[in-house]
Amino acid sequence: MTRWLPRAYLVLVYLALYIPIGVLVVFSFNDGRTGYRWGGFTWRWYESLFSNDAMMQALWNSLWLAVSAATLSTLIGALTALALHRYRFRGKKALRGMLFVVMMSPEIVLAISLLSLFLLVGVQLGYFSLLLAHVTFCLPFVVITVMARLSGFDESLPEAARDLGASDFTMTRTVLLPVIMPALLAGWLLGFTLSLDDVVVSTFVSGPGYEILPLRIYSMVRVGLKPEVNALGTLLLVFSLLMLVLSQWILMRSKQ
Amino acid sequence: MKKLAIAGLAAVTLAGCSDQQEEAQVLNLYNWSEYMPQEVLDRFEEEIGIQVVYTTYDSNEAMYARLKLLDDSSQYDLAVPSTYYVNKMRKEDLLMEIDHSQIEGFDNLDPELVDQSFDKDNAYSVPYLWGTTGLAIDSDAVEEGEVTGWADLWDQQYEGQVMLTNDMREVFHVGLRVLGYSGNSTDPEEIEEAYQKLTELMPSVRTFNSDAPRMPYLEGETDIGMIWNGEAFMGKEDMPSLEYIYPEEGVIVWLDSFVIPKNAANPEAAHKFISFVLQPEISALISEDIGYATPNLAARDLLPEEVASNRTSYPTAEDMENAEFQEDVGDEAMQIYNRYWEQLKTGR
Amino acid sequence: MLRGLRQPFRTGVLVLVWTWLLALVLAPNLLVIGASFLTRDPGTFLSLPVTLENYRSLLDPLYLEVFLHSLYMGSVTTLVCLVIGYPFAWALSRVAKERQLLLIFLLIVPFWTNSLVRTYALKLLMATNGLINTGLMEMGLIDVPLRMLYTEGAVIVGLVYLLLPFMILPLYSVFDDLRRELLMASHDLGAGRFSTFIHVVVPLTLPGVLAGVMLVLLPAMGLFFVPDILGGSRNLLVGNVIKNQFLDARDWPFGAAAAIMLTLAMALLLFTHRLSQRRLGEEAEV
Repeated sequence: MTRWLPRAYLVLVYLALYIPIGVLVVFSFNDGRTGYRWGGFTWRWYESLFSNDAMMQALWNSLWLAVSAATLSTLIGALTALALHRYRFRGKKALRGMLFVVMMSPEIVLAISLLSLFLLVGVQLGYFSLLLAHVTFCLPFVVITVMARLSGFDESLPEAARDLGASDFTMTRTVLLPVIMPALLAGWLLGFTLSLDDVVVSTFVSGPGYEILPLRIYSMVRVGLKPEVNALGTLLLVFSLLMLVLSQWILMRSKQ
Repeated sequence: MKKLAIAGLAAVTLAGCSDQQEEAQVLNLYNWSEYMPQEVLDRFEEEIGIQVVYTTYDSNEAMYARLKLLDDSSQYDLAVPSTYYVNKMRKEDLLMEIDHSQIEGFDNLDPELVDQSFDKDNAYSVPYLWGTTGLAIDSDAVEEGEVTGWADLWDQQYEGQVMLTNDMREVFHVGLRVLGYSGNSTDPEEIEEAYQKLTELMPSVRTFNSDAPRMPYLEGETDIGMIWNGEAFMGKEDMPSLEYIYPEEGVIVWLDSFVIPKNAANPEAAHKFISFVLQPEISALISEDIGYATPNLAARDLLPEEVASNRTSYPTAEDMENAEFQEDVGDEAMQIYNRYWEQLKTGR
Repeated sequence: MLRGLRQPFRTGVLVLVWTWLLALVLAPNLLVIGASFLTRDPGTFLSLPVTLENYRSLLDPLYLEVFLHSLYMGSVTTLVCLVIGYPFAWALSRVAKERQLLLIFLLIVPFWTNSLVRTYALKLLMATNGLINTGLMEMGLIDVPLRMLYTEGAVIVGLVYLLLPFMILPLYSVFDDLRRELLMASHDLGAGRFSTFIHVVVPLTLPGVLAGVMLVLLPAMGLFFVPDILGGSRNLLVGNVIKNQFLDARDWPFGAAAAIMLTLAMALLLFTHRLSQRRLGEEAEV
């Protein structure tokens, strides 16, 4: 009994986690009008999704925002992690503390504080404000990912490289970069997903000139049950699964 | 590496900027959700060559707050507030004057709906649609003759089946009317009384919805409650048992008008869009499609008989008995409403 | 310490990250704190007289009830997550190592899927004409559909569904660290199962529990879209109140004060977390 009970429990919880997602995927191919009963297989929700210009525009906006936010936060985050790892400097504790606070603080608090700032400074709400906001909430996650990688890093390697006459630049490129590369990729992917999924912060800091997917989904979902949402959800699921598999693969490979 | 960082930063942000600028002629239309057929937007783009970016809100309050927030960043070119907000926004200098020389077809509008006290000579607004907020029932679940007025919502037998619009003023309007007060009351005591009355209704209320008030009926979640006439009209196409009822205490009447925010980036396109909608053919198409009444008399002549004589969209004089028009109540009263509204929605 | 890249690099990086954090984290938060002491102004959002009024109105019975209700829903969510997550994390940590990786992977897949879409999927299941009701009725278990959507329960189910992985992951990591030997040692010393659990397992997993609580409770009070979709715009959370103050009612000072309460709650939780870790550290040394 002691052996099967925990397993049964695990299975049960996984089922609870996956059934709603499964239902969503199955019903994205449902031809029934009511939305709840199976009425045959169809691709038409996907077709109507792809023929919806506003939706496609929002999708591209979202992808572009996620790519740029992830890139920028990986860049800044990686540099910060390096600095935190190698240097002693005043305010190091404060810096760590602040990143931790950003990570822990409720999204809604971050959202209103950024909105207040953008209004005060006169940043037009749109792509730029979204970018600043998204980089800010992605940053700590990248720092943590890279730091974790660096902490397991054999510090004698760069020393050896230097002893062998390598320049700083060469050392960084040939020793350090390969080591943190998987972490950079993992951090980038994490930032990408966080950005693509964010509703709370984006609700506050987006403008009409740059509509993004989560907000579009939000207004669709609030209107009612729409099969297009199922189709879109399925596409996003497949997409994130690919990203996740990719990131895990990178991490696994780097460990070997 | 620092250089690299700066280069990267610059590249990313610059790319973003250029992305925004390359957009051609665009009209940013801020409108209620499901309040404009896609066909109209497509035709405008096709015929006039200006792309419409359509963003939505679900309450006047949200629209107003957003416009106020983005006041000087010229993000919206056109919005569609209800009368009482036109008044408020005009007073607060948030609107641009309409250049009537750029508007075609204004004469088509019903003389009874233009030049009203909230905006003399229509200096700041052009009527878009008008409509009513009344009762809806699912006649499969609720006896048809049984529901005649707002007060019937309080009936115990409908517990857990009632839907209200997610609109502070409308919900309080109902509470106030049931007590015999004006739906535009500014008297704190009357508002409180209405709040008390509404708390008695709350156990019956399943949901608030202003995104698409027909959906909870269609989805089988609610059987009785408030609805906008156009939503009732659209809902009936999918659900024949959805009936619209004019409550005996009087329906809520509103008129939504186009306004141009003061700092609109493209007022020219906004004027063009208004003229476009004022064409009888387009106005008729809109009314036919989403079921609200058009103030455009020339368009009304073009409507098919079954729409023009549809009592849901175009009420008779009898239906309009006791009807009350929504008016601006002022910021002070709004604060009182607001406070009770939040409490109402969170209370059990 | 690695000596290495020259000073300009170090200075550059530090300037960059500090500028970013000061401009986009510290400054805006100071703004919010400042705003919370100002007066609401219908015209411009804020106006001068400095006041404590906003904090006082938080204690107003009307709003207090809103907050307590939100706290209540957040707490129930956290509790449910803990009750489900604790045994789950334990069971997970006892699975063979190779399989653990796959299982954890499966746990974070939903986390990588759009949260709105997942919330919406729950609506498909819980609607009156939804799959659960249809299924139960076809099996003949019920005659009248259950009213699940637009209830307090629906909001809590939604929050648990979105936040469960955040409870499980920290718990799993403490269970993973919990060395078997420690348990065996305690067993050898004659402690019973129950006593082992109370005296060894619970204290050692406490930091994980606290971390989980922290990661669940605060977001649970801020995810305004869950009551919007599953609660029928009722059963509001603090997040809805803050959003409403900023985006509908335009009472920024009050919204700011509410946000600060939320931040203080976070600070309190962080502090408790730290404290528990420190105490645990001391005990370990003894």
